[in-house]
Amino acid sequence: MPLLNEEIRREVAKFLEGIPRPVRLVMFTQEFECEYCADTRQLVEELAEISDRIVAEIYDFQADRAKAEELGIDKIPAIAVIGEQDYGVRFYGIPSGYEFTSLLYAIRYVSEGKTELSDATLKVLEGLTEPVHIQVFVTPTCPYCPQAVTLAHQMAVASPMVRADMVEATEFPHLAYKYQVMGVPRTVINEKVHIEGAVPESYMVAKLQEAVR
Amino acid sequence: MLDFKLSLQREPRPAATEGLYDLIILGGGPAGLTAAIYAGRARIHTLVLVGPLPGGQPANTDLVENFPGFPEGIEGQELARRFLAQAERFGVEMRYESATGVDFSTRPFVIRTHGATYRARSVIVALGAVPRRLGVPGEDKFFGRGVSTCATCDGYFYRDKRVVVVGGGDSAIIEGLYLTRFAREVIVVHRRDQLRATRIYQDRAFANPKMRFVFNTVVEEILGEKTVTGVRVRNVKTGETSILEADGVFIYIGMEPQTEMFRGQLELDERGYIVTDRRQHTNIPGVFAAGDIQDPYYRQLVVAAGTGAIAAMEVERFLEMYPD
Repeated sequence: MPLLNEEIRREVAKFLEGIPRPVRLVMFTQEFECEYCADTRQLVEELAEISDRIVAEIYDFQADRAKAEELGIDKIPAIAVIGEQDYGVRFYGIPSGYEFTSLLYAIRYVSEGKTELSDATLKVLEGLTEPVHIQVFVTPTCPYCPQAVTLAHQMAVASPMVRADMVEATEFPHLAYKYQVMGVPRTVINEKVHIEGAVPESYMVAKLQEAVR
Repeated sequence: MLDFKLSLQREPRPAATEGLYDLIILGGGPAGLTAAIYAGRARIHTLVLVGPLPGGQPANTDLVENFPGFPEGIEGQELARRFLAQAERFGVEMRYESATGVDFSTRPFVIRTHGATYRARSVIVALGAVPRRLGVPGEDKFFGRGVSTCATCDGYFYRDKRVVVVGGGDSAIIEGLYLTRFAREVIVVHRRDQLRATRIYQDRAFANPKMRFVFNTVVEEILGEKTVTGVRVRNVKTGETSILEADGVFIYIGMEPQTEMFRGQLELDERGYIVTDRRQHTNIPGVFAAGDIQDPYYRQLVVAAGTGAIAAMEVERFLEMYPD
């Protein structure tokens, strides 16, 4: 039974026709004790079926430990979205519901290797001298969340110093607890700066600067 | 059950200075997207600046039961998706940006977003309304961390917990009922002596064993050190204050229009709504408004859609009379 219906498949196919270069969806799974691993794997494989520009690579989180470490994958299900290079764009938990849109945007930005961020934002990102890790906590039923996720992922594509994760809060309750997530989207930058809600690009940039100050 | 939602803009953003449109629609909710459907079918060169919530308020609603054509009701998120798909089908351009400033002093009108500037021969303002806040101590401190205006977003975090829902209208009751899927108790705090919600929702709420009602009562403070522990409430009849223990607070006390950007350019009423005539004209020829941003009375999906259609038809007439 496919996860994506015919209508969605057609829309996805049309969208992916427009991307210039192939994208690898490097997915980490395991057979047991991971509620959404099988579905996430199927989702990645269905996308590869829909478009020959998408390549699905499946790894076992335990057996392929070295690969996971190389890509900095520390929990599953995980998808690393990789283009001509690895920009540090990650999805932890299944990108279902509204987050499916975030996955497709991530694919496009990674394929193009460029973003729609403003010149002012790009200038700030160019000036970064230390690594920035952005985690965006979401639920699949949150219509505001893709905006925050897509913004973070674009920052990762634009800067070699930035990596950005979508984290589906309901699949990682210990992280939701650790970062006190009681509402989404909640963005955590370098473990110390928090943002509540989907905020404008300029606000996110200001918070990012605060995190590296 | 898993589902997958798509709302995609196909084309990357054009360079910052290009882009003169016959019509720019601000807002991608029921009013803006209905206007977009009409404009697209009329072959008006149209850009929709969708904003942060594609599909508008329905996207933030569990189930819509009063929109004609869906006898079983339709998920708000699905309805939002269909609005977007239908508008896109008729060839309007959609961007997931928000206007940050406008200049309506001369035609073509100027619309700025973060990072781009667009020009338009006509504009429909359909930015809707945002949830009203209580304006009490503790609200800002805990917003997004125990205080929410989006049950579908944040309901999950209140499994087996007790939540307070503030308000007595349709939204409060619908979202309160939604929260009973997660929470062990949902306490509705309402300032009047009875609910204002449609009777069918009231009946469901009173029949739900997880729902409890505190009438004639207003919230005066949201309490807690690191997390929300409760609310301090006051009975408006007796003046007595008391504390309700709760882990979270969901606020549904109505909506308010976001019209600060237009102040000084568009005529606003005393509550901040854009003033329109019966054909959705504002005080500036060529600038129209539709939906909740100009509707202090009804704020219904079907009404918003209707005013969107009127605005688009008026744009068509306007562009014929004033092509430049």
